[in-house]
Amino acid sequence: MKLKQLLKLIFTNITQNKVRTFLTTLGVIVGTATIFLVVAIGQGGEAQVNEQYSKLNVGTIIVMPAQRGRVADPLTKKDAELFLASANIAQAFPLLRGNGTINYNNYSASASFMAVEPEFQTSNNLTAELGRNIDEEDENKKNRVAMVGAELANTLTDGNSSEIVGQNISISGRRFEVIGIYNRVGDSGSGQSYDDAAFVPYSVGEKYLLGTRANPTINVQATSLDTVQAAIADIQSSLDENHRAGGADQFRIMDAGSRLAAAQESARSMSMLLLAVAVVVLIVSGIGIMNVMFVTVKERTKEIGTLKAIGAKKQEILNQFLIEAVIISLVGGVIGVIVGFITVPILRYFELAAIASVSGVLLGLIFSVVTGVFFGFYPAWKAADLSPLEALRYE
Amino acid sequence: MVHREVWAAHRRECNMVEQKKCVIDAANLVKIYQNGSEELKVLDDVSIQVYDGDFMAVLGPSGSGKSTLMNILGCLDIPTAGEYYLDGLNVLTATENELAEIRNRKIGFIFQKFNLLPRLTALQNVMLPLLYRGMDEGEAGELARGKLTLLGLGERLGHRPNELSGGQQQRVAIARAIVGNPELLLADEPTGNLDSKSSEDAMRIFRELNEQGNTIVIITHDVEVADQVKKLVYIRDGKLYENN
Repeated sequence: MKLKQLLKLIFTNITQNKVRTFLTTLGVIVGTATIFLVVAIGQGGEAQVNEQYSKLNVGTIIVMPAQRGRVADPLTKKDAELFLASANIAQAFPLLRGNGTINYNNYSASASFMAVEPEFQTSNNLTAELGRNIDEEDENKKNRVAMVGAELANTLTDGNSSEIVGQNISISGRRFEVIGIYNRVGDSGSGQSYDDAAFVPYSVGEKYLLGTRANPTINVQATSLDTVQAAIADIQSSLDENHRAGGADQFRIMDAGSRLAAAQESARSMSMLLLAVAVVVLIVSGIGIMNVMFVTVKERTKEIGTLKAIGAKKQEILNQFLIEAVIISLVGGVIGVIVGFITVPILRYFELAAIASVSGVLLGLIFSVVTGVFFGFYPAWKAADLSPLEALRYE
Repeated sequence: MVHREVWAAHRRECNMVEQKKCVIDAANLVKIYQNGSEELKVLDDVSIQVYDGDFMAVLGPSGSGKSTLMNILGCLDIPTAGEYYLDGLNVLTATENELAEIRNRKIGFIFQKFNLLPRLTALQNVMLPLLYRGMDEGEAGELARGKLTLLGLGERLGHRPNELSGGQQQRVAIARAIVGNPELLLADEPTGNLDSKSSEDAMRIFRELNEQGNTIVIITHDVEVADQVKKLVYIRDGKLYENN
């Protein structure tokens, strides 16, 4: 039989048996849509991680005390200076963090504040949108000045942020002169936004705000991505040498690169888990297809006998059932992909990152055809293998 | 196309009787069914010749072996022993695909239950054997339409089997059997599922087809059918008799 006529015959069979076609297609639709969505959610998760860490410089190393609060042997500004002796380290500066009430006129806000060295501003892309940055002179002379983040300035002035420059604010009861407002930087990647914080020179913060409770973190910048591991080793030996009590063990050394890698890893393992679920769905829907194909073949055994009696060859019967299975799976696959495309915005609405992608479409379609052929083949082969007499006698 | 070169190996000269070609030449056919340890001899040394233009009935009660004989003659089943030449071709040495081709080109089947494909129209049903030959749709449609019109179904081309009466379905089945100009029409209880009026119609059609030169073999248990053929053989307990 010519292919065109065979396709016509198959088309007639498919369209004349709507319930069966629908049931078979349903399995494929569910399977394909699942695959498509799994890929979409997996890629969405990875994109989310990448986005979250995009502002993080991967050469950054953070040295922090293993315990919060008052410690016996804290890091000091001197540690940062000692780290700079390493050839692998380009930058090292201490950083203090605290939380307190910040007052301006009648407004007050509970916010975090940071005591930073001038380099901190450049390495975090913080520049003064109004006024000026904290400079070396502020640091050395212990000037009681402060910078405020864009969001915090808004909060304190009820939206009229420019007026705050040149005025006094109080942080935890201590008075500081506001010298400027930073540009908006968004999420810093460490889970905290600089836009909501106040900043004072490191020496000032150490002296007036935290005093003996000062327990700084040191931000280190490796000379390049390749020297991160060497820089970590240098930091460890420096800490071992200068903190006799517990050496480097009292501190945590984290590098941004491995945090990013860990986050990506966990996003990927999430994808794998979803994929495993999808594979189960596929097998189940594949068995569904096989079931319907078996029923079809049983229903049509007598027809197969008739076809053989009027001259259909085994190969032609096999082709007919296989092509039928492929068409049903392809149509189901396409519908499944469409269902997936419709579902993606719904997932987004529920704040589940999902990205429709070409690879999702391809994987979904490949699945549907492979399942269709795989699970369609056995019943088709059984059907084609029957002797014409057996098939004709089948009731 | 027909595998002439392959078939040539199976071909042998037909016995000619009164200048007529021998369509069926079967000798000493035996069919044994193994039922557990029990052997059931359904056909016992049956020899039968059918010549071009014959109009023959094989009459026998149920269980006589007539269905088995029809299946073997129709190349749907293979005998345990014996020889069978159809239009000079050795059926028993043919491969599966060659048998499919023999069924397609040499034999036109008419089944008791018509065996039309329920999802296809009358026209599509009749076209099917031609399409399996690889004929173009246009040509096949033309031939099928011609045969259906000849059998009075020109108005029913687009109807599906369940929209047709039993008699009409039988005529579609006959059209399907003759559309490819086979050497042999093989009808299995063609009146078994028809009322007496439709049965008469069917037998009239068979007579006319025979007058036009078709070779017809009818397997039946119906004596009235047997009365209307030119040549009658009896089958009982797996043996064939020329007269009752």
